[in-house]
Amino acid sequence: MGAKLLEAPIDVYRFEPGRDAAPRYERYTLTVEPHTPVLTALLKIRAEMDPSLTLRYSCRSSICGSCAMQINSKSRLACQTPIGPEIERHGRLVVEPMRNQPVLRDLVVDQAPFWRQYDRIEPHLKLDPRHPMPEGKPNPMSPEEVARFYETPRCIACAACFSACPAVEADPDFPGPMALAKLYRFVVDPRDQAHQDRLVRIQTGGLWLCLRCHLCTEACPKDVRPSERIRDLKELAIAAQGGTEPGSRHAIGFKENIRERGLLQEMKLVRQTEGLAGLVGQAGQGLRMRRKKPEITKKPRAIEGLDQLQTLYRELDHPAEGEP
Amino acid sequence: MKIAYYPGCVAQESGRELDMATRWVAKALGIELVEFPTFSCCGSGFVDEANLTLNVAINARNLGIAERAGLDVLTICSTCQGMLSLANHRLEDPAMRARVDPALAKIGMPYKGTVKVKHLLEVLTRDIGLGAVKARVRRPLTGLKVGAFYGCHLLRPSQESSMESPEEPRSFEDLLDAIGAEPVMYRGRVMCCGFPILFVKGETANRIAARQIADAKDHGAHAMATPCPLCHISLDGYQNKAEAAVGREFDMPIFHLPQLVALALGATPEEIGLPRHLVPAGPALAHIRPDPTAAPRA
Repeated sequence: MGAKLLEAPIDVYRFEPGRDAAPRYERYTLTVEPHTPVLTALLKIRAEMDPSLTLRYSCRSSICGSCAMQINSKSRLACQTPIGPEIERHGRLVVEPMRNQPVLRDLVVDQAPFWRQYDRIEPHLKLDPRHPMPEGKPNPMSPEEVARFYETPRCIACAACFSACPAVEADPDFPGPMALAKLYRFVVDPRDQAHQDRLVRIQTGGLWLCLRCHLCTEACPKDVRPSERIRDLKELAIAAQGGTEPGSRHAIGFKENIRERGLLQEMKLVRQTEGLAGLVGQAGQGLRMRRKKPEITKKPRAIEGLDQLQTLYRELDHPAEGEP
Repeated sequence: MKIAYYPGCVAQESGRELDMATRWVAKALGIELVEFPTFSCCGSGFVDEANLTLNVAINARNLGIAERAGLDVLTICSTCQGMLSLANHRLEDPAMRARVDPALAKIGMPYKGTVKVKHLLEVLTRDIGLGAVKARVRRPLTGLKVGAFYGCHLLRPSQESSMESPEEPRSFEDLLDAIGAEPVMYRGRVMCCGFPILFVKGETANRIAARQIADAKDHGAHAMATPCPLCHISLDGYQNKAEAAVGREFDMPIFHLPQLVALALGATPEEIGLPRHLVPAGPALAHIRPDPTAAPRA
């Protein structure tokens, strides 16, 4: 009993740098069942229509992480994405290589930028040499300790998050979602002895360039939720070290700013984050905006019930203790 | 309908035109906005990074205020929408409840968790309904090509309570259709405006904004529209910096969502604060063709 068959127009990105002047899209029309994965269709195209189509894949079961690509502009595993819903939504299927990594040929990218960022976080346990792992006890962690990084080991390093990330696209200093999620995993691993050092270094290593746009979390095929782990890292970094960078100063400054009147004091926040020098740097822009929006330099009203808000701060905002 | 109005900080300060337009639209469509001078800032994602538990408590207090009045909450900012609904979501975790509830008890503001948080986009497209909005249009925005720009936190992180697909939303485009404008589809519409790092690394933020504006322009948009005043700051207030960052002039007018609705319903540019924008809106309005079937203005 087969599902209703579907005539699927598939536009595939084709490009061989060095030989082709520019990328082109080749259209293949296939008759498939709606639940057919995109990867199966691409392999059929290669087997029956065009043996020169180049793609990377291996397990076909969302385990190896090899077949990440852009499917109708979303970073996805091709083996895990059925064709039917894509055609239904878009009327066609556009398959392109991942973003933020140079194309080697067709759907295959050079993953070097992704792995370079991963190396930067030193993704291995740093044990204290004075306290080696006890012999015969491979896992000296409690279930509660493991639960703190329960999601991260699910990562299959497919780079879908790296491909989806606008901060990666705009700034080579940003390590990317996967590297930071993995860093989080080592920071909260009780066996790792370099927590403090890792947190201090990542503050200047691009942590605060995360836009918390959550595109990585939506792209991740394994529900690792990188953006939430990056948030956790930010709070841990502030607890460990306070506001040493514009990013952490901005987060702390914002929190203090709201405590005073309950509403944001926009101009004061610029000073809190950037200091006096920064305020001077923003002066041109500020004046430009003030011409149209004269109230931006005035203090907002204080909310009614400000004492309630300040009690919440007293109850729940304890000063950093210097330890994550 | 009657709803607790949560304007957020920016619409009460540098983005007052958004508040003006929201009130205009609410009045025209019979939405009663109940105001609470006790509402505080939502934390804008920044307090969340410094102290997650505190931020959940701050928003539980905000939601508790509406709960006491028996009202759902209306937001007009993607970030307020995201932070308030995230608080609802996080309060489902018993461990979070255990940390937050004693502090709420101390200020006499318990929160049971019954309040729905709705952005104006949802109220217009779902509660009022596209048909009802369309029926009130006096001056359809025929000929105006608009790139909807959703703002991250209206869509992501997606939850079971989310209104639509986080990667392929349609509601904003449907609303543009209803008011006679022509929606432009482009990848950047669900991307980030760069605002969260505007004061962390301005140049990177400006490049990210430029990328989305360029994408809309290259797909033929005369203007962009956003349901988020933070996106508006990045795309309008800092458009000059975005242009400088990539060496390209955009002159792309950026509307707040209710401004376009109000225009179609008959508001004047002054009533909805269009002269307050840094990028003049006039050139976009010039694309609107007179519609012979439209009713004359009252």
